[in-house]
Order: sequence, then structure tokens, then C-alpha cells
Amino acid sequence: MLLLISLAGILYAWQWIHTEVSAGPAMVEIYHDEVLLAQYSFPEPGKSIHFDAEGELGISEIIIDSEGVHFSSSPCRTQYCISNGRHSEGGEIIACVPNRILIAIKGSRINGSHYDAMVE
Amino acid sequence: MLMSRSAPRPSLPALEHKAKWLSLLLLAVSLHVFEAALPSLGPWFKPGLANIATLLALAILGPSAAAMLAIWRVIVGSFLIGTLLTPTFIISLAGGVAAAIAMLTAWRLLPGITLIGVSLIGALAHMTVQFLTVESLFIHQQALYYLLPPLLLLSVVTGWVNGGLAAYIVSQLKESD
Repeated sequence: MLLLISLAGILYAWQWIHTEVSAGPAMVEIYHDEVLLAQYSFPEPGKSIHFDAEGELGISEIIIDSEGVHFSSSPCRTQYCISNGRHSEGGEIIACVPNRILIAIKGSRINGSHYDAMVE
Repeated sequence: MLMSRSAPRPSLPALEHKAKWLSLLLLAVSLHVFEAALPSLGPWFKPGLANIATLLALAILGPSAAAMLAIWRVIVGSFLIGTLLTPTFIISLAGGVAAAIAMLTAWRLLPGITLIGVSLIGALAHMTVQFLTVESLFIHQQALYYLLPPLLLLSVVTGWVNGGLAAYIVSQLKESD
């Protein structure tokens, strides 16, 4: 019974979050703690965006291409953020907790469409 | 010439209790270090094998021994793997303490609850408090919680498996007594 209640609650929360986050075009948001450092859409195939996010420990290098977004280098000791790999779907996040950098993907990528809007 | 003793000699049951607690601590620390050496299953997720020792302590030695074991396991384990006083340690300690409190509360307040149920509650509390700790101390972004539901689902599975293992070990120990 406890298991069923837990599963039902978790699945409902997951569905609700997915619905909330998937609205609008896909955007990559990069935060240092509370501060939004940059916001990009996914570039066209063959192009990539390099962003240096300055955190508590130093610079985390982030690469965004048409396939997704990932940390390419980090000053943290554990390197979990790099091993977390590339992500591309709305609702996915990658965090480097020691450096306090968060990458969040919002919106959905419909038929692989791309947007050129960028705020930095 | 007779020398006066400053403290009475501890009783045999007390010594046995202490020996069992230390054995379980050793098991918990070993599992903590083993988990750290496993290939990464994602930055937020570990199977929680060390929690089996906490469950054994709860069933065999009682709630207070289990709570102390959960705290000392994180401290000694983090010292050995070199993460003491890092963010990883703080997140791990917060999760471990929360899981212990949730499990002890369930053990006391829900009569007839099994070790599997206790483990399930502990696993969910551990994962939830890890996220709350990161959000309140390190990265103040609610977007972090996007990842919580899938990881809670994994926690349900690992909590179930670990609780089943702990229940099996306790039944085997009782048979051998």
C-alpha cells in the first residue's frame, strides 16, 4: 500500500513538472546560484556555442550544440557534472554543486526545430 | 595494596551491544566506501547499500543505536574517501540524518511496519532532503526539482531492495541465535 501511494504521488508530480516545463521553445538556461548567467536556444547542426560560467571555484566550460548541452570542463574535484554527459530534453538539468553552476533545459524541441534568439 | 576503580566494569550485555554496533559501523563504512568506488550512476544517485547497516542496527540494537550509526557512517566514510566537510559531505550527512529520523519515526509510530516499509520511507526522505539541502545551501534554483521525481522512483526501487536484504539478514541472524 505504502509503495503504491509513493509511486502514484511521484508519477503525478513527474507528469505535472513535465507539463509545466515543456511549454514554449527549447531554451538552455545557465545559472550561478540565483543569477541567470545566460540563456540560449539550441544552435543549428554543425554550429556550437561555448560558454564560460564563473562559479565559486572557477570557470566551468559549457558547450551547447544541436545534440544538446554539456559541461566540457570544471574546476570541481568530483567531475560528476562532466560525467553526467549531454542533455537535450525539456525538464532536464545538469548541476555542478561545488561550483554552484546549474544548467536547466526548458521548453520542448519540436521536430528538431531551432531558434536563434539568445540573451546573455 | 588495593587500587580503587574510578568506574565500574561494563556488563557483558553492554559490551556485546557495543561490539555489535561497532561491527555494523564497520559494515556501513565499508559499504559507503564501496558505493563511492562504483561507476557513477548519475551525480545524484547511489544505491544506498550503507543504509542496510542502519536497518540492521534498528532491528537488532534499537532506534538510538541506529541514529548514531547513520551519523558516524557518513563522517567516517567521508573521511576515508576524502570528501569530509565538502558539499558532498554536507549533502550526504543531511540525507543520512533525515533518512534515519524518518525511519526511526516510522518504526516507532507505525506498529507492524516491516523493514521494507521502513527502508522505503528512509530512501524517499534521503533523496528529498538531498535536493532540499542543495537548493537551500548551494544552488538557489527550483529548477533542481525537475530531476526529483525520476530519482524518487529509483529510490523506491532501491529502498525496496535494501529493505528486503535487511529483512533477510535479520531473519537469518535470528535463526542462527
